[in-house]
Amino acid sequence: MKKAAPIIGLIVGIALACLLALFFRENPLHVLKVLLTSSYNSKFDFGLTLFYTTCLIFSGLAFSIPMKAGLFHIGAEGQIIFSAVVAAYLGHVLPFDTSFSILLLCVLTALAGFLAAYVIALLKLYRQAHEVVVAIMLNFILSAFATWFTINRLQNPNSQNPETHLIQPSFQFLNNDFLKVYFEQSAVSSFFLVAILFCIVLFILEQKTLWGLQIRAYGSNPLAARRLQISDFKILTISLGLAGVCSALVGLTEVLGNTFQFKIGFSPQYGFLGIAVALLARNNFLGIIASAFLMASLHKGASDLDLETKFLTRDFSLILQAIIIFSVASSYYFFNYRFKKKVKLD
Amino acid sequence: MIDSIFILLILSTFRMSLPLMFATCGGYFSEKSGVAQISLEAFLLVGAFTAASVSFFSGTLLLGYLAAGVMAALFGQIFCIFTLKLKAHSIIVGTALNLLVMGLIPIVSKSVFDSTGSTPSINADNVYYALPVTILIVTITAAFWLSNRTIWGLQMKFAGEKRLALESIGVNPIIRQWQAVTLCAFITGLGGAVLSTYLSSNYSPLMSAGRGFIALAALIFAGWSLRRALLVSLFFGFCEALQIQLQSNQLISSRIPAEFIQMIPYAATLLALIFLRAKNNPPAELR
Repeated sequence: MKKAAPIIGLIVGIALACLLALFFRENPLHVLKVLLTSSYNSKFDFGLTLFYTTCLIFSGLAFSIPMKAGLFHIGAEGQIIFSAVVAAYLGHVLPFDTSFSILLLCVLTALAGFLAAYVIALLKLYRQAHEVVVAIMLNFILSAFATWFTINRLQNPNSQNPETHLIQPSFQFLNNDFLKVYFEQSAVSSFFLVAILFCIVLFILEQKTLWGLQIRAYGSNPLAARRLQISDFKILTISLGLAGVCSALVGLTEVLGNTFQFKIGFSPQYGFLGIAVALLARNNFLGIIASAFLMASLHKGASDLDLETKFLTRDFSLILQAIIIFSVASSYYFFNYRFKKKVKLD
Repeated sequence: MIDSIFILLILSTFRMSLPLMFATCGGYFSEKSGVAQISLEAFLLVGAFTAASVSFFSGTLLLGYLAAGVMAALFGQIFCIFTLKLKAHSIIVGTALNLLVMGLIPIVSKSVFDSTGSTPSINADNVYYALPVTILIVTITAAFWLSNRTIWGLQMKFAGEKRLALESIGVNPIIRQWQAVTLCAFITGLGGAVLSTYLSSNYSPLMSAGRGFIALAALIFAGWSLRRALLVSLFFGFCEALQIQLQSNQLISSRIPAEFIQMIPYAATLLALIFLRAKNNPPAELR
């Protein structure tokens, strides 16, 4: 029963959010219908949902991996934006000879995400800075840097919007990949499969290797872990570094798989959505696949509310996430409470 | 010429540190009572929006300040229910509250003002410049008195340092934490009101621009001491004033891109964390 707690929390959260719509003179049933069905209207819509799922899996992992080590990593948003800019820049300047340069682009982008996340680890290690404060400051700095770089160095001359050049045509190889073709040129790409693979690999790493064990041990009791000579340095490097790589993969999904350029404001706060995804999955790497899909369909529904209703804007997606985080985070309390009571009765 | 720039800079330092000082003061109570508080940002935004709209409709600023404080305190209750009653983690609840406020305000302002997020500007003749300063002085005095001179303050600090000691004299630490967080939200809401009615004349979307987090950084940086934290927030206020002065200066803004100048407060926070040895003295049972 305890395992079902997040799901019941999710249902309560959706119900609450729909009731909230009453305050804004909307019919809650209509809101619910839009939220639940808009992902399945057409193949194109479903592809878009899968694209959101891809991004949310990665950002959910970016929150979840450091969480295993007891760290609150809310800096994914800045890393996503930064790595997307790096990917767009590399896609514009790297000489294209072989498939090697595609690999190089991916590796360098992942490295950018790694470094951006590593700043947090370094400050925490050597300055005992609180990771939340550092992450938030980095979010502001990295996105300001991305804005400057886009407008002053990479601005697409053919566009009025603040966005970069398209990456070179040869890097747009995902344009005719089979998922994209099947879903009628929707946003989804093979990165969806990469995301699922990532979840499975990380699950195995966590359960079956020494590193996974050490990270979990550090998360549940850092003092005991230090006694066992598990070094802080190693744990922080692995967990935050992997989180940075996951954030970078969101950027790659957008740049290599969807728009082939960096647009300012492309991310509807994926970094923060990832928190809801990870909570809903109870920090289980395989559960993240399912919870990311759920949140993606809700997000798709919420962004359609803009067109379908009069007063609700796409910001309703933020409210929905907040209420879901609230209800899922508190659902554990109710179930623990009930469980204890039952034991007493027996 | 140079004199006038310096005077402008000093004056604007004081202006820009006002909301930061309110937020620091509020955050102090919550953090000292053992509740990690990252939704200062949300309280600032709620306060700013409420103050702007109430002063717009009523025409009196004082009512706007009061409404901002009360409204933020109401949102503080959401935080309290989830962290203190339902035992969810305070950082998770704080993040969610930030998201909730960021989503709620545009929708409310769309149905009230039919705008995309900003409120109509309040009548500039009504802006009474001594008001925010007076409120700040009263708040800071009250905060020092409450935390250092009263039994309530001592008990509030013990809720963060050692709950067991508090329980053993028959005081429920959760009630002290609840009061502290409510007070925190009220004070921070006042800071939001300063933001929208004193530093500008209307609410614009996301106008707090990370000040809640900067205030939290100031608090952590000062080793959870109110006096030092207020000084540190004065420093961050200086960084923001510097940013505004640099941006309005033709000579400099033509050389350095605006985005880098806007980075100054955040970069200063990071650099301060890197180069200055922070007093690391958190409340023992801060969670």
